[in-house]
Amino acid sequence: MTTTTPHDVPSPFAGLGKKFDAALGRGIGHITRRALGPHQTAIVRIGFAATWLVFLLREWPHRAELYGPDSPWSWEMAQRLLADNGAFTVLMWSDSTLWFELVYHVAILASVGLLLGWRTRLTSVLFMLGVLSLQNRSIFMGDGGDNVIHLMAMYLVLTRCAQVWSLDARRRARPGRTDRADIVIWSLTGAALLAALISGNLTSPVWSLFLAGLWLVYAGWWVLERYAPAGEPRTVADILGNLIHNATLLVIMFQVCLIYATAGWYKIQGSRWQDGTAVYYPMQLDYFTPWPALTDALSNSGLVVMALSYGTVFVQVAFLFALLNRRAKNVLLVLMIGEHIGIAVLMGLPFFSLAMIAMDAVFLPTAFLLWLGSRTVRVRDRLLRRRPPAPADAPPAPAPAAVPIPPQSERTAPAWADRP
Amino acid sequence: MVPTDHDDHSGPADRADAVVPTESVRLSSLSLPARLVVALSIGGLAVFAAWHALAAFLFVAPSNTIMKDHGPAIRGYIYPEFEQNWKLFAPNPLQRNVAVEVRAEITDPADGSTEITEWLDLTAIDIANIRHHPLPSHTAQNELRRAWDFYVSSHDEDGAPRGLRGELSEQYVTRIALLRLGEDLGYDLDTVNRIQLRSATTRVPAPSWSEENIDTTTGYDELEWRTVDAADLPGGRNNR
Repeated sequence: MTTTTPHDVPSPFAGLGKKFDAALGRGIGHITRRALGPHQTAIVRIGFAATWLVFLLREWPHRAELYGPDSPWSWEMAQRLLADNGAFTVLMWSDSTLWFELVYHVAILASVGLLLGWRTRLTSVLFMLGVLSLQNRSIFMGDGGDNVIHLMAMYLVLTRCAQVWSLDARRRARPGRTDRADIVIWSLTGAALLAALISGNLTSPVWSLFLAGLWLVYAGWWVLERYAPAGEPRTVADILGNLIHNATLLVIMFQVCLIYATAGWYKIQGSRWQDGTAVYYPMQLDYFTPWPALTDALSNSGLVVMALSYGTVFVQVAFLFALLNRRAKNVLLVLMIGEHIGIAVLMGLPFFSLAMIAMDAVFLPTAFLLWLGSRTVRVRDRLLRRRPPAPADAPPAPAPAAVPIPPQSERTAPAWADRP
Repeated sequence: MVPTDHDDHSGPADRADAVVPTESVRLSSLSLPARLVVALSIGGLAVFAAWHALAAFLFVAPSNTIMKDHGPAIRGYIYPEFEQNWKLFAPNPLQRNVAVEVRAEITDPADGSTEITEWLDLTAIDIANIRHHPLPSHTAQNELRRAWDFYVSSHDEDGAPRGLRGELSEQYVTRIALLRLGEDLGYDLDTVNRIQLRSATTRVPAPSWSEENIDTTTGYDELEWRTVDAADLPGGRNNR
């Protein structure tokens, strides 16, 4: 046995201060210069906008029963509860059917706008106002899926979620075009905000400050873009935008972890999750069995039920720690998304599942998203019968050649997304 | 690459001219005030994000030491917009089917006599609308189900309402029942004097492979009769 005297061993702490400083410097560089995860935030934006849009269209025939002034949860009842809990909804500004119809349809349009990334700074705010207004109006109509959409609608406002895969990105890529729509949009929204404040409808101090603050920030940005695009204030404003985006992205990722950790850790305490029969019970509940023959077949096997029960707990509890390793994270993401597709079909919870999948998407690897993007472009071009330009003398290709990667995807993929 | 070339254009600046992309800006080349703004923002955002995460965590965590002391501050921040509940089928999934049933006292317009209908299963209407539907509506899946949960959670053991929510939940289940009676079951609501609701609770039988013995007889829980208020009829806003 050899003995080493203490002074032979290099201290593991040597140079730690310097390393820390360097890492801090690099970290600050990362979060100030770029809005991280452009593809991840874009897919989250598209996912939630699409979920809410399909939901609103699906419920269109039922919209009055869910959120209209004549709903079983009547306008007066909503008002009494809201006076108590203080949640935000523009639907309490008037009990007229016309106002309700206007709000519902603006919410649909805002979802379309956000989905396409059209004027995202505007449509993300309208989307949030639509989600909050409808959901808070009839709080007992929603479920876990609505809860996720509610939170994400607020978070998305603070992210630069249209850096790629959006009409905004396409417009930005065309240089030298002056944009006159902005001034119209911000004048109209400014007037609407002022009207809401003056008429005494917008009374919540927090929301008044937040919405007015947002408007002022966007107005300030517009002034900088127009009159001093090369000045330092514009750079600093851009850095602040990146910082807010990155902080919100972190909060979104934390939120996903919180959801799975909570769902998993509470399950561990349940006797049915411990004895491996838990999944059997929802499969016997009338409200969650749209395909009884299918669920009966599954729940008849004790082995399948136990595998699904234990698997669910395992995946939910492990999710948080799997983020420490890129491969483990990707495997768990696949399992998680698979489970949600199962829930969508077997339990008849498609909107809940879509929302959860949209939320999971924040952790998808950039390489996969880029591939998904190029496949989507290819399918779109095939559908629209656009062929990539071929040399004039070359014979027409039997199948469309590889579609050039759209310019936005040439950005360096953010390292954080793929690293533990 | 310092973005210092302020241009004195009074009009819109030419977009094509040297816009320094933020990606290539060196923080150390910014002016002191600019660096101060950036530094303060990083600090402020870090603190706020940490607070938000901590508050959300404590809100969903089980009752604990910190919440005993600081519960009001944390709940004050979380409610109403950041409220969340992720006990999805946990600690244990629901293990019983709850059906809401209604019966009505109806006046015969011809002779003014009254009769009481059979118990009518409102939940069965929901189930019929969910079965074999890939996209069940919230009106079928959540409306009555959650209204009944709301009713039960806002009433005490003896069926007495707890405050505003108890009172609202009674009106809510009544209005849903009236809507279903009229729209789905085809009753003329003008002839309905009063209605009574009850829940029919049946435990899910033990799985076939289990040796557990579960009593699956249906238990009923009746509410008081409630006289129909014209304002609670569908479209009854104008009857006030």
